[in-house]
Amino acid sequence: MIDATKPREARTPTSKDLARLQQDFQNYVLAASTLDHAGIEAEVVGTTKASAKSRLGIYSEAYRLRLIEALDTDYITLHTLVGDDTFEKLALAYVDAYPSKVYNMRWFGAQLPEFLKTTPPYSNYPAFGEMAAFEWALTLAFDADNAPVLRIEDIAAVPGDAWADMTFACHPSLQRLDLRWNVPAFWKAIGNEEEAQAPQQNEFPIAWMIWRRDLDSYFRSLPVDEAWALDAIRSGANFAEVCSGLCEWIDELQAAQHAAGLLKGWVSEQLISGLKY
Amino acid sequence: MTATPTSPVSFRKPGSPCHRYLGFGLGLRTPHYDTILETRPAVDWFEILSENYFCAGGKPLHYLDRIRADYPVVMHGVSLSIGSSDEVNIDYLKQLKTLAKRVEPQWISDHLCWTGVAGNNLHDLMPLPYTEEAVAHVVSHVNQVQEYLGRRIALENVSSYVTYKQSAMAEWDFLREIAERADCLILLDINNIYVSSFNHGFDPHLYLEGIPTERVQQFHLAGHRHCDDYIIDTHDEPVIDPVWQLYAHAVRRFGDVSTIIERDDNIPPLEELLAELDHARRIAASVETELAA
Ligand SMILES: [Fe+2]
Repeated sequence: MIDATKPREARTPTSKDLARLQQDFQNYVLAASTLDHAGIEAEVVGTTKASAKSRLGIYSEAYRLRLIEALDTDYITLHTLVGDDTFEKLALAYVDAYPSKVYNMRWFGAQLPEFLKTTPPYSNYPAFGEMAAFEWALTLAFDADNAPVLRIEDIAAVPGDAWADMTFACHPSLQRLDLRWNVPAFWKAIGNEEEAQAPQQNEFPIAWMIWRRDLDSYFRSLPVDEAWALDAIRSGANFAEVCSGLCEWIDELQAAQHAAGLLKGWVSEQLISGLKY
Repeated sequence: MTATPTSPVSFRKPGSPCHRYLGFGLGLRTPHYDTILETRPAVDWFEILSENYFCAGGKPLHYLDRIRADYPVVMHGVSLSIGSSDEVNIDYLKQLKTLAKRVEPQWISDHLCWTGVAGNNLHDLMPLPYTEEAVAHVVSHVNQVQEYLGRRIALENVSSYVTYKQSAMAEWDFLREIAERADCLILLDINNIYVSSFNHGFDPHLYLEGIPTERVQQFHLAGHRHCDDYIIDTHDEPVIDPVWQLYAHAVRRFGDVSTIIERDDNIPPLEELLAELDHARRIAASVETELAA
């Protein structure tokens, strides 16, 4: 037992002491499996009840558990897809590769999709990375900025001669993904507690959008022309440019009507937050 | 709901820099959002985890605004890292201040600890060495933070599992010294005192006696996990009897102090926490009766 009331040996520490102590402790926590612990172990009092080593171990173990739990919260369906063992392994590998720099653990998993797409052996299973990307997009939509949404009347009020120059602002929660694997179907089945088929690979990537209506997140796939048009307005294209781009898929005579139809659809889905003309 | 609300009185010890007494509250947790809005439970106030609301929109802020409309709210952070040898993190403070503008909290608190260096966040409340150097370092950080926020902050004692060889004073002397020199407030976590007293072998009553009464703004109560050789501060179980007894001692010494129960894991239905909170009310009331007699 330590007598915490008893003054210890007289010592005049310099401010370097505090910095060094914290750096040693942090190094130990971040790399508990590989690093020499002697530095920090020498700084800590061990007792008959618990050695310095086991006391320090509480911190390094808690660090990993806590961050794995954070990943599990954001990537719960990825966890189901890959199974407990693989999830724990990939989460541990990620925790070691990306020490947290964020204030709120909600942001800790931001690089997991990229990590899974580029790090073997996970990169050999592209459905893993795509599932992670899909779940991350859902979290982004969940707490993205609020914004007003346009109503059909707002569009109807635009004078006919202003339509060509009209540009749009999408709702800040809108996320776009192109997925080769039908991971959203798997996500939906798990969410509905239905039998889930392992994700299948599509012949071509399929476009998806994920966004928030009021407080709830939604997603749906997009036909190729609609995906192109949505990406175009997001990057600032005006209505006339959208119409001429759509001619790739639609007869020139119908392009304007088709573009107007897409726009009305987006407005009714609460995807459009502003327009300028 | 069965809880009987006390009527918190405006209470201030002579010469105390503390804010008004709020009564008995709970840590606000996501699974309770709807129940709170639907049933308006007899909770005097809520404590939020500040960082959970460092976001732009959507559900978290939606619920926060609605609950704030009905209840006093206090902001409690975990990433201020006041004892870090890094510089005070202005970006963090900016987000904290933005949230404070929205919430208008009764007060703002964080922990007497460090959470990382060189820009890292270990997401843990890492203990500081109890040295004169660390006192001076933390005091200078508290000064900067209080200046930036334009208000006093409250610092909470943490549970710890290690003692540093270089520590030269007791934890309570360290806390008192910092609070007095930086002119900040104290959030006394009764469970953390109990946990650390077991882990480090000191008398928790000595801890209470070492804390200046006029600076104690708030109490925390929570449960923990006993692992034979040490206790881990898990906040996933009800408060245990020895911690209730220590709480009674604290009420005897510090009087009416705004109190919450923290539950972060294994979160039960709200009614269970309301019943636990009623237990705290009864203990405080019986101590008051005892003192009056
Ligand atoms: Fe606490």
